[in-house]
Amino acid sequence: MFLAMMKKELLALSRDLHGLAALFIMPMVFIVVMSMALRDVYSPVTKALNYAVLNQDQGKIANKLLERWAQESGVAHALPENWQDELRAGRLQYVLTIDPGFSTVVSQMGSKGEAKAHLLVEPGLDHALFEMKRMRLFAMVGQLQAEVLLAQMTTGVNVAALIDRTPVVAEQVSAGPRPTAVQQNVPAWLVFGMFFVVASIAGLFVEERACGALARLRSLGAKPWQLIVSKTVPYLLVNGLQAALMLAVGVWLMPLIGGEGLSLDGIHWGALLLMLLAISLAAVCLALAVACLVRTHAQAATLGPILNILMAALGGVMVPPFIMPPVMQKIADFSPMNWGLEGLLDVLLRRADIATVLPAAGKLAFFALLMLLAGFALFKRRI
Amino acid sequence: MLSIRHLGFRYPVADVAALDDVSFDAARGEVLGLLGPNGAGKTTIIAHLAGLLPIQQGNITIDQRPLAEARAQRPTRIAIAPQEYAFYPSLSVVENLACFAGVGGLTGAERQSRIAECLAFAQMEHHANVRADRLSGGLKRRLNLAIALLHRPELLLFDEPTVGVDPQSRAFILEAVKKLAEDGCAVIYTSHYMEEVEAIADRVVFLDQGRVVQHGALSELLDSHGTLLQLAVEGGQVERLQALLAPFGDVVRRGPGVQVLLPDRRSFAAAISATEAAGLVVSQAQFGHANLEQLFMSLTHHSLRD
Repeated sequence: MFLAMMKKELLALSRDLHGLAALFIMPMVFIVVMSMALRDVYSPVTKALNYAVLNQDQGKIANKLLERWAQESGVAHALPENWQDELRAGRLQYVLTIDPGFSTVVSQMGSKGEAKAHLLVEPGLDHALFEMKRMRLFAMVGQLQAEVLLAQMTTGVNVAALIDRTPVVAEQVSAGPRPTAVQQNVPAWLVFGMFFVVASIAGLFVEERACGALARLRSLGAKPWQLIVSKTVPYLLVNGLQAALMLAVGVWLMPLIGGEGLSLDGIHWGALLLMLLAISLAAVCLALAVACLVRTHAQAATLGPILNILMAALGGVMVPPFIMPPVMQKIADFSPMNWGLEGLLDVLLRRADIATVLPAAGKLAFFALLMLLAGFALFKRRI
Repeated sequence: MLSIRHLGFRYPVADVAALDDVSFDAARGEVLGLLGPNGAGKTTIIAHLAGLLPIQQGNITIDQRPLAEARAQRPTRIAIAPQEYAFYPSLSVVENLACFAGVGGLTGAERQSRIAECLAFAQMEHHANVRADRLSGGLKRRLNLAIALLHRPELLLFDEPTVGVDPQSRAFILEAVKKLAEDGCAVIYTSHYMEEVEAIADRVVFLDQGRVVQHGALSELLDSHGTLLQLAVEGGQVERLQALLAPFGDVVRRGPGVQVLLPDRRSFAAAISATEAAGLVVSQAQFGHANLEQLFMSLTHHSLRD
């Protein structure tokens, strides 16, 4: 009986082209598009910014400043004659100009010179990038000033070594590879895609009920729990296929189209499987509850996607929770998609093991149980 | 085979009972016509027999065993061919048959042979691999029938099985129903098409507002309810004619004249004589057995199609 009913579910799904597209193509497209679109958010392109230099000083300190700047920001482009126009048009993203006498002003700190280093940026440059460049320029000039000062005070001391020993270290902690757009987007849209079974299951269930096939199955002796289990197992398999496909897109497809690849090196596979199973159970059980709740195809086609998009928006799939205000972050904590996403990010970014993701998996399992009970309660009313 | 006694049922939010003290029997080898207008309780009875509704009042037995017990032992002994196309539109004919055969417990070679037999019975061999949603209305009804036959049921429930089909498919289905009864099945058949029921039913049960208003052998019922006279007179004096014929039996207006159900054939001459004696000139007269529709109207004073 189970085999016949499960085979029927898979056959019906395989003929539902819209459902298949929503389950497989849509999250895949989201992963590719969003990873490419957000690549620079996770890997800033400061080094790739086009810039030019107008060095009107040519002194030792000015040259040293530009040399250090080039080490960090890449080689400067040749300064065009109409560089102000180029800058305004955005074809040059910034220009570093150094006034005549800059080296003297830095080396003789008591002097009253007005010579300065200027950072001029194009109108469309992201404000955060501008601030970053400005602070780097401040820091570099300050460092040069400190070096000059120390050299004057402490002859015979290795000033460069002294400066390098500045007791400040800043780095992004990571147990695995550096977080990239792909590393963030694959789990996000995988969770989103897995929850899209809600629309498919609800749609097929309504159709089955409306055409009388469900009543016929009941008349043949199929019990409610058998009907529900026979729908659960095939969709767990579908979710498994989705996960495999989305991970494959991240690992193999993204590098082929110019993105960064998803790294699975060193992840805990048991933890990954546990999270995928928990997300799948939550998604399928929610789908069953929705399927038992709705009365018509139109309701199924509307409620499923609305629920998905709301949970995704609140759960950090569309907007990362860390940029949400505190109230929204609290709300995100109640979204099953957030539990799934955080669990997967733990596994993929923080190299978490089973014990670490157990709370997230537990919450998803509890949610699945609640939805299953709701589904059972509603099921008899809908036959 | 089937015995229903004092069956009562009320849906949770309904003000009135869907079934009230319903009792009748169905035997192997016969077609029982279950007739009544919408809301009479036909589908509720079928839902009980299919195991979709719990028995609230009364009892149903199959071969002297309670329905629940009989269904628990072998649910497939009762099969339903519902009004809806109760199969999966995106699956092919043979995939649908395989699905319902598997759910009912058929496996292996037995499943394959039953699928082949039912395809042959429904004359659908050439459509075996066609998606169900691409079949014509008639073929869909045949598929509904083929699925119902998969498990060799002893009691077959047909709920409006010929709705929306072409005349050829209707004739095919009616022949199939008769053949199934001849082969020993008990068949319960509901339809709005009275001529269908008259053509195939051995016995009929009239339901109205959840109650049985009449039941018995079709021929006896038609005979016992007297003779139907339809009469029209010149000058359109229908009201006068209606009053004139009232002492002879139940009179209702029908088109340009009246229809009166006479208790016996002898009343025919008396009714005509009374009409002529009153100075009315008969322009049209029809005389004969009441049909099922007329019989139902005489019992309930409203139409089966209401």
